[in-house]
Formats: sequence, C-alpha cells, structure tokens
Amino acid sequence: MSNLDNIRNFSIIAHIDHGKSTMADRFIQLCGGLADREMQEQVLDSLDIERERGITIKAQSVTLDYKADNGQTYQLNFIDTPGHVDFTYEVSRSLAACEGALLVVDAAQGVEAQSVANCYTAIDQGLEVIPVLNKMDLPQAEPDKVKQEIEEIIGISATDAVLASAKSGEGIREILERIIRDVPPPVGNTEADLQALIIDSWFDNYLGVISLVRVREGVLRKGDKIITKSTGKVHVVDNVGIFTPKRVVSTEIKAGEVGFVEANIKEIKGAPVGDTITHASTSKVASLPGFKKVQAQVYAGMFPVFSDDFDNFRDALEKLTLNDAALIYEPENSDALGVGFRCGFLGLLHMEIVQERLEREYDLDLITSAPTVVYEILTIKGEVLKVESPSRLPPTTNIEEMREPIVEANILVPQEHVGNVLSLCVEKRGVQLDMQFVGQQVSIKYELPMSEVVLDFFDRLKSVSRGYASLDYHFTRFQTANLVRLDVLINGDTVDALALIVHRDQANSKGRVLTEKMEELIPRQLYDVAIQAAIGGQIIARTTVKALRKNVTAKCYGGDITRKKKLLEKQKAGKKRMKQVGNVEVPQEAFLAILKVDS
Amino acid sequence: MTAPALTLPPVALYIHIPWCLKKCPYCDFNSHANDRTLPEAAYIEKLIADLEQDLPYLQGRKFTSIFIGGGTPSLFSPAGIEKLLTAVENLAGFASDIEITLEANPGTFELEKFSAFRSAGINRLSIGIQSFQQSFLEKLGRAHSDKEALTAAENALSAGFENFNLDLMFGLPGQSIEEALKDLEMAIACNPPHLSWYQLTIEPNTLFYSKPPSLPNDDLVSGIQEAGIDLLSSHGLDRYEVSAFCGPDQESRHNLNYWLFGDYLGIGAGAHGKITLPEENLILRTQKVRQPDNYLQQENPVAEVAKVQTSELPLEFMMNVLRLSKGCDQVLFGERTGLALQSIEPVLASLRDKNLLRNDRLQATSKGFLFLDTVLTEFTKFMPGDNHTLERIEVNSR
Repeated sequence: MSNLDNIRNFSIIAHIDHGKSTMADRFIQLCGGLADREMQEQVLDSLDIERERGITIKAQSVTLDYKADNGQTYQLNFIDTPGHVDFTYEVSRSLAACEGALLVVDAAQGVEAQSVANCYTAIDQGLEVIPVLNKMDLPQAEPDKVKQEIEEIIGISATDAVLASAKSGEGIREILERIIRDVPPPVGNTEADLQALIIDSWFDNYLGVISLVRVREGVLRKGDKIITKSTGKVHVVDNVGIFTPKRVVSTEIKAGEVGFVEANIKEIKGAPVGDTITHASTSKVASLPGFKKVQAQVYAGMFPVFSDDFDNFRDALEKLTLNDAALIYEPENSDALGVGFRCGFLGLLHMEIVQERLEREYDLDLITSAPTVVYEILTIKGEVLKVESPSRLPPTTNIEEMREPIVEANILVPQEHVGNVLSLCVEKRGVQLDMQFVGQQVSIKYELPMSEVVLDFFDRLKSVSRGYASLDYHFTRFQTANLVRLDVLINGDTVDALALIVHRDQANSKGRVLTEKMEELIPRQLYDVAIQAAIGGQIIARTTVKALRKNVTAKCYGGDITRKKKLLEKQKAGKKRMKQVGNVEVPQEAFLAILKVDS
Repeated sequence: MTAPALTLPPVALYIHIPWCLKKCPYCDFNSHANDRTLPEAAYIEKLIADLEQDLPYLQGRKFTSIFIGGGTPSLFSPAGIEKLLTAVENLAGFASDIEITLEANPGTFELEKFSAFRSAGINRLSIGIQSFQQSFLEKLGRAHSDKEALTAAENALSAGFENFNLDLMFGLPGQSIEEALKDLEMAIACNPPHLSWYQLTIEPNTLFYSKPPSLPNDDLVSGIQEAGIDLLSSHGLDRYEVSAFCGPDQESRHNLNYWLFGDYLGIGAGAHGKITLPEENLILRTQKVRQPDNYLQQENPVAEVAKVQTSELPLEFMMNVLRLSKGCDQVLFGERTGLALQSIEPVLASLRDKNLLRNDRLQATSKGFLFLDTVLTEFTKFMPGDNHTLERIEVNSR
C-alpha cells in the first residue's frame, strides 16, 4: 500500500471494563488478523498481569487490512491504550501516534471521569474523536442519556455516536467504516529525511531493544544505518515489521505507518520512549516533539528480601524503566531494610504492577515500604526542600513550615450515591469547588490533599458508590498544613521504612489504628513483639503480638517423609516477602498496613 | 586416603497392610475401607515376593526391627502373620534382639486374637486407642468403644505383651485441658511401657479437610501439651521424641531407627523405604505401588526408586534426628549423609546464636524443641533453588 490516503491510525479511549480489549479482539477477527483458532481473549494484553487483572498497562499496536464498503483496502493501525487513572501518561504517548480515537463508553454505565480526561488529551492533540456506545446488548443500556452525558460533560457531539456491542459483534463494521470516513489519513512524505517517533520500547534478551515507532517522514528499511537523536550512536536495522497482532517482518515502514524496529541495541537506554530515530546520514534532522515528562506522585522504598539480589534488582529496574518511563528510582539505604531503591510511581496500582512485574519477570522477592506523596518543606534558613521519604524529613527545629500537595479531583457518580461520595470527600479533608447534575450523573469537583487521594481513596470511592463512581485528578499546588511524622517502633527500635507523614489532627487515631492493624498482620513469633506508634519521641499507641507457644507438628510418620517435607517447604515459601527487621520477621502486608487504615 | 564416610546403618523392615474396617475422618494414610473378605493369602504371597526383590539392599544386614502397620494389620489372621514372619526370617534373618511390632485396634474382634499374635512371633503391640472417652471416639469416627479401649491394654498384658504402645490423640474437636488430661490419666493407669501422644492435625484428602471440625485454638493446644508432658513425666513416662513417651529403655526401636536416619525396607502397598549404598555413595528412597489392587496385580510392585539429592540430605537428616529430645552425636551426620558437617555450619551457627540448637550435639535446645518446625525450615536452605554448596566427604577411590 503506497498511498497514505488508505492508512488510518487510531486508538481507543475507554474506561476499564467498558470493553476496549474485547472490541479490539473483534476488529482483529473481522480483518482476519488471526485465525479463529488463534484467538484467545484479549489478545493484545500480552503481559500475564494484564490478562489476569483484565486491564491494559502497556501500549500495543496491531496493523490490520480492512476491505471497506467502498471496495478499497485500508491499512488500519490500532494502538491500544491503558485505561486506569495511573496510566494517563501511556495514553498520551499512544495518542501521539494517531490521527483519530474512538471514545468507547459503556451504554449502561455512562461516561467515566478517566475517559473524560483522556478525551481532552486527544482533542488537545488534534485527534478526531468518534463516540461509540458499547454494550448495547445489555437490557439496561440507555443510549440517549449516555449521549447527553457525552455532550454535556465532554462537550463533543454525540448525535451520530455508533451503537455497538463488542460482545455480540453489533456495530463493529460500522465503527471501522466511520474510522475510514472521519479519521484523516496521516500526512508525511516518503521522500523526506527519516523522522520516526519512538512510542514504546522494551528489552528482549536476544534481540536487544525493540521499539514501536510511528514514522512521520521518510522510510525506514531493513539494513539502514540509524541513530537515535538522544544518543547519536549508529546502529544497523536488523528487522522492521508490524504486528497483526503476530509479529510480521517486512522490508520497510513508511511515513504515516506504525511498526517495530530491531537494531541490536544492547544498551538499555539506547532507544528511549519519546526519542526520534533518523538515518545516520541525516543526523541533523530535527527531533520530533517528545512526550511531557511525567511526575511521580507516590514514592516508596523497594528492597530485595535477599540482599544478594541487589544487583539483579538494579538491572531489572533499568530494563523496566525502558518501557515504563514513569517509573523513577534512586538508591536508598534503610536501617531496617538494607540497601534498595526509592522509587517514584504514578499511583498505587502502578506501584503494585511494578512490584509484580519485577517479581514475575525478573524472579525477585521484594518488600515495598509504606508509600508516601512528596511534601515541600520550608526550612528556617528559607530553603525549600522536596521530601519524598518521611525518614528524610529534617529535624523539626529546622522546619519553618510543611506543605502538602493538593489535587483537583473530578468525580462522576450516579445521583443516588452522591451523598456518600460527598461525605467521603469531607472525611478526606476535601474542599468542594463545583457540583453539576448531568444526565443520570453528578459531576463533582473537589480539592483534596494528594496523600488522601493516592492511598485508599479510589477503593473507598468505589465501595461507597457500589462501583459506579469514577475519578480523575491532577496536582495543582502545595499548601501549608499542620503535619507531623508518625514513627513506628518494633520492639523499641524505630523502623524507618514504616514512618509516615500525617496530619496532626489525625495522628493519634492513625497511630492507634495502624498499630492494631500491624498486630493482625505480623505473624506470631518466638517472642513477644511490641509495636508502638510515636510522634516526636512520645508514644501514642501500643500493641503486642503475643509470642507463639510452639511450632512443631506432632507426629512424623517414619517411613513417608515427603508430606512433612512439603509442609516445611511451604512454611519456607511463606517467608518470602518477609523481611527480618531486627529479630522480627515482618511481612510485606505490614509495611503497607497504612493503606488499610481509614481514619 | 580417608575411609568412605557414608557407612552402612542398621536396617529395619516396614510392612504395610492397607485395609481397615472403615476409614477414619482424620486419616490420610494409604488405608482403604473393606467389608469384603480380605485377599489375605494373596497379599502375603505378594509381600514375600516384594521382599525378595529388595533383598540386595540388605547388603548382608539382618533386620533389627519390623513394624507391621496400616491400615489395620490386626485384621489379618495370626496364622497369616506367622507365615509372613517365618518367610521374612528365612529370607533375611533377624537380629537376636529383634523388635516386631503389630498395629492393632482395640475392637473386640482383634482383642481375642492378641495371644495368637504373640505366638505368631509378634513381641510388641501398638494399640490405636486415640481416646478413652466415648464422645471423642465418636467425633473421631473410631470403630471401637471406650470399654474396648480400656480392656485393650489388659488383654495385651494377659496375652503376654509386656511391651506395648498406646496411641492417643489430643487437640480433639471441642476438647478442654481437663478432658485431654483425663485421657492421659486413663492411659497411665494401664501402665504402658510406651505412649505415642500426638496432636490431631487436619490433612488434605481427608473427610475432616473437606468438613473441618472446630478444633481448640493454638494457645489451648499448647496448654494441653505442656500440662500433658508434665503429667506423663511425673509418672515416669519421659518425652524422648516430639510425640513419643516411655519408661527407662523402653523406646520404640523401630521408630528410633527412623529418627536416627537408619535404613529401612518398605514392602506392601504404598510402603516407603530408605536405603544407603555406601559403595556408590548414594542414598535411595523407594516407594511401592499405592493402590492395593494394583499392588496385588502388577508383576513389579516398585513405583519409584529415587536418589536423595545431596541438597535435600541436611533437611531429611535433621527432620528426623532433631525430633529426638536428645538429638544425636555430631559424628552421625557424616556417617549417615556422607556430607561434611562443616558445609552446613552457617545454618548451625545461626541456630546456636538464637539459642535453638546446642553447641555440643545435634540437639535442639528446650526452646528449639518447642519451635522445631521453625528450626527445620532453616535446613530447607539447601534445597534446589538456593545457592548453597554442600561438600561431600572425600571418598576413598577404589
């Protein structure tokens, strides 16, 4: 296909559960990208975690040939995007490679806050947005009300939104036709100097760095000598190709197209996301605008359970950051947990997923310390410090003022749950900015301390609204607040990895609930374990994990020792994700107990 | 050159009889309820053939003990048992002071056979009392009554068994400390030379596992155990192993051999064996075909013969010897595993630091004995997956 007019690059904006991955499966089926026997559910979610959790974390692309009603064949490049609030950044990357986007909304549940935010990003980036109402097969589908929500909340016309059901297949062909009709073809000149934007990169032990690119100008061919603008290093292209979603090697990818490049780049930072690839001979060509650097919002220490694993852990983090630009890290030394890394995440889900990927893909056992947001400290000398670890807080005598980050949160919730959501916001020290009734939903705008939002707010929001409320938020400013450090002591020793920064008014109750929670979470050991919470050296709460009285099973049947051996191995496996703090074994859950504290 | 470190330990024989009148809800042994006539004669023939096949493993040794377990071996006839023992003696030979134990249930049908078993060559009985109280016997689904439990010890004595063991359980559904101690007092009144007193645990593949009864909590169970150990000790029954108690020199020789990591052949359905081959510097574990019908029908009853991996030897050794309250001499580790004690020294040292292991012997301290599973977990460090190297003791080249 030589004609740019027959190419369409698009992605899908949708909330989790609104059926994006299933819809992608339908597109692949309709275009014959995979034989029926090769179809497994949600083929694009290639990470194990993605399939298990039913969410998309990483961008993926698939190139499909679609024979349209007008008799012409079109190349459709579909770039899949994540739907969770933590991964907004990945969405904007995917959108940068497209000229259009489908806004997929659940016809029964209505618009969700996350889709609103992503839709604005798409509009900002100049994309054509096509609204699609999915799940029309459900009896509770209310297309008219949902159309009204799209128009009033997002502000785009929804009169000719496509009515579809990814489950039954209804409307799938119509969606593709609309993409052909409404999404503009890419512009670009195959004769121009090569400019290709790296949308995503990942590391393969055999092939080196593999990059997903959108070619803006020129042609990228197998055998070409290329450079990335940031490193200037020359590499020879081993392979280019597309995903159908199977990996298919081709000879070239041209302006307007999306595909992969392998150039045996062994250094992990050799092809960073957002960078521009060009030919070695045209190294002076301008870089394409990259992506906005994303700000980590939650910080936590990560430590290998076995200190021997430190080097592997560092390598793993390096490889992971290659295609997770939002993850940042620097070495951290904890008295309690040893040598590890202070890592910055987009949110708690991001944190969980990073830990899970490190453990699964790199076979590490890790302990994550209590997560925290970044605070701003004004010292008595007039310096302004950013503190992303409670243990790095300067002595109180040196602190003039402490400031906490504030977010503006947009919440969409069905009217019957609005009361619960408002009380939750008040409980979390929120200040209401705006509230509007739209369709069946209420759109609420609140200012909230970020520390309250990133911990358990999302889960609480879901539970008080029976799962219907949705949330989007962004940082606005730092604000002076009466904050203190809450220390946790285990058997009399302060454990730096358990310290928290909390609001003075909540300190006592948080200390009490936290020690109670930890008493439940720390298993009984060979001796009593005292857990104390303290502020400035003064103990405010205390609990004790009573010593175990025995740990031995009564009868070992002489002949067959296999069962007993398995039991001991199981006990040992239970010790993974436990960290020895002094002489106390503390499980991962205890470090994250703060997430379970509702004050 | 040094002599081969792995030495040939004593050898015992375990014989498995896989049938019971009914299956108890807590039992996860290879036992099968049977109400038809047992294929006794065929099974005994098969046991003898099974032993013949294992004879090379004896490497010149005679049996120091035999344990006929089950299932309920006392369901077999004394004549059948006699035939079996005669064949075993002819094939392998008995040490002069051999201990031959038969597991028996205290049902009336079995009680009547006790003296005949004595004449058949059995010199020790292990009686599965479990509880002397009717309500608990019913909860455990036992086939016998409290009265039968009481007569069992008397019958054993009058049948000429000076040496017998009573099996009792504690931590039973709804059991109080007083009720548990009452069982022990009734047992003590029978003057048993040996008592096995073990905690009821819920195992997979049992009725209790799918429908768990409500068991006393950990603290209550610990309280029962502590009080029980004191009570038994005040009556001259000392705890020489985690759940075994006896008077002076009345240890079960057969079990002691397991606990000292000795060898044993296992014959019968699902029976396990452990064999040392010093010349090949090898330790084997054997297992026989598990299903009774298959065991009877298959020409070769061996299901598996596996080398014990070097990495697993420290755990296997410690799992056994540390169950003995006196543990063992340090020399035994090298003799029975062929490994240098030095190679597990870091683990030993860390356990000694925590006051869980004694300095002079391979023996848990009183604290270590209470937390034996915690202690043993440390020896899983040598299992595959952990990067520890174990040194084999230098073997004399032949």
